[in-house]
Amino acid sequence: MENVIELKNVTKKFKDFSVKNIDLQVQQGFVTGFIGANGAGKSTTIKMMMNLLKPDSGEIKLFGLDYKNHEKAIKERIGFVYDGNVFFEGMNLKDIKRIVAPAYKHWDDTLFYQYVEQFELPLNKAMKTFSKGMQMKASLAIALSHHAELIIMDEPTAGLDPIFRRELLALLQELMIEGNRTIFFSTHITTDLDRIADYISFMQSGELVFNQSIHDVAENYALVKGGLDLLDRDTEKAFVHVHRASTGFEALTDNIKAVQNTFGDSVVIERASLDDIMYYFKGGIHHV
Amino acid sequence: MFNLIRRDVILQKRQLLIFIPFILFFIIMGAPPALIFLVASIFIPFNTYAYDEKVETNILLNSLPYTRMEIIASRYLGAIVYMILSIGVTSLALFAFNKPFTITDIAIGSGLFLLFAAFTFPLFHIFKPGYITTVVLISFILLTWIAPPIASFIAEHFTTITDFIVNLSIPALYTGATLVIIVGYVISWGITTVIYQRKAF
Repeated sequence: MENVIELKNVTKKFKDFSVKNIDLQVQQGFVTGFIGANGAGKSTTIKMMMNLLKPDSGEIKLFGLDYKNHEKAIKERIGFVYDGNVFFEGMNLKDIKRIVAPAYKHWDDTLFYQYVEQFELPLNKAMKTFSKGMQMKASLAIALSHHAELIIMDEPTAGLDPIFRRELLALLQELMIEGNRTIFFSTHITTDLDRIADYISFMQSGELVFNQSIHDVAENYALVKGGLDLLDRDTEKAFVHVHRASTGFEALTDNIKAVQNTFGDSVVIERASLDDIMYYFKGGIHHV
Repeated sequence: MFNLIRRDVILQKRQLLIFIPFILFFIIMGAPPALIFLVASIFIPFNTYAYDEKVETNILLNSLPYTRMEIIASRYLGAIVYMILSIGVTSLALFAFNKPFTITDIAIGSGLFLLFAAFTFPLFHIFKPGYITTVVLISFILLTWIAPPIASFIAEHFTTITDFIVNLSIPALYTGATLVIIVGYVISWGITTVIYQRKAF
């Protein structure tokens, strides 16, 4: 299996925040969801993937190529969608297309107009009059019209209504039918991922906690509920973080076997949602 | 790269409508032709910068298959292209209004423009966005206002400099000025490229 994106030991320091030692591989032909709380370092990581930011150390390769020597070849193969509108606000979609299209060797006008029609986008209205959903659709139409092999999206579903979110996810699913496309997108709305993601990359406080298939995540993590009397220093070791209440405890484990061995039937083990995982990791950094 | 230069026209369709009346205003006001050439040349390249100082624009351009070196090169080459076009249009306008002008006016206008561009383009990447356009516009107005008195002051009080210049033959003066401008422009280009390549968006 080929890696479309490869980050090796990537570090980027800012004054009050840093992204540390990221090792991340994104496999070709799959949808990878990139999750983490606000400020976890997702956007910074995506910017480094797009060469908008240069890492202080480490190596970044896309399609096996580095940015230093192959910047154009790499970007030719990427479709990008960002959180905000990066297109000139006062311009209409037609003019934006006239600026963007010639940049790509494989721009497909027919395909573009097909998306314009499908998304019901007005060609002659200024971008700033578009709703958030329409801006998103416009970015998407542009990102999809040059036969990109890799689509990188930063929070594409943020600020969208549930109906359009579903439409978007359905569209992404449709795109994946076409052979070897790869989609990498960040989100903090984890329910989006249950529908379409094959892999989950999870960032927390500037570090990559895991990068696993959604199946493995479900197998490796679980919520454990039980009485407070079961907890002591030893038994707590099996948990990422424990949340105590007067009625009992609730905890996230990354070692289901150990929990089963220690507690047997005295606890309830449930499937942990991605939200649960994010929540407990946030509280339990000290354990990681 | 050509696309990046052409982009300015698409971007400024509406502003271009102001371009002609803008030049006509200066012509009717009876401004010196050299100044008109200068102002006309500044119009498009600096309007582009007003767009490009926005972070979003840089994110867009840098996400497209362009290198940072190309993005800067398109600015510097674009400035020359648009200068030549502007001079063409301005010449036509002056001609239509029966205002006489000479090659020297064009040379002075374009020379000053290139110097001004060489001086300000790097600033656009050093200062915070949002302020720089205002800073540049004001400094331009101040310069055109202050420069003549300063020039005459220098001419009167530093006679060695003026003597030196006056004593140069006309071809030597022109070649010297051209060289200074070309070198300044190229150095500015280099500096801006280095600054831009280190930028984060």
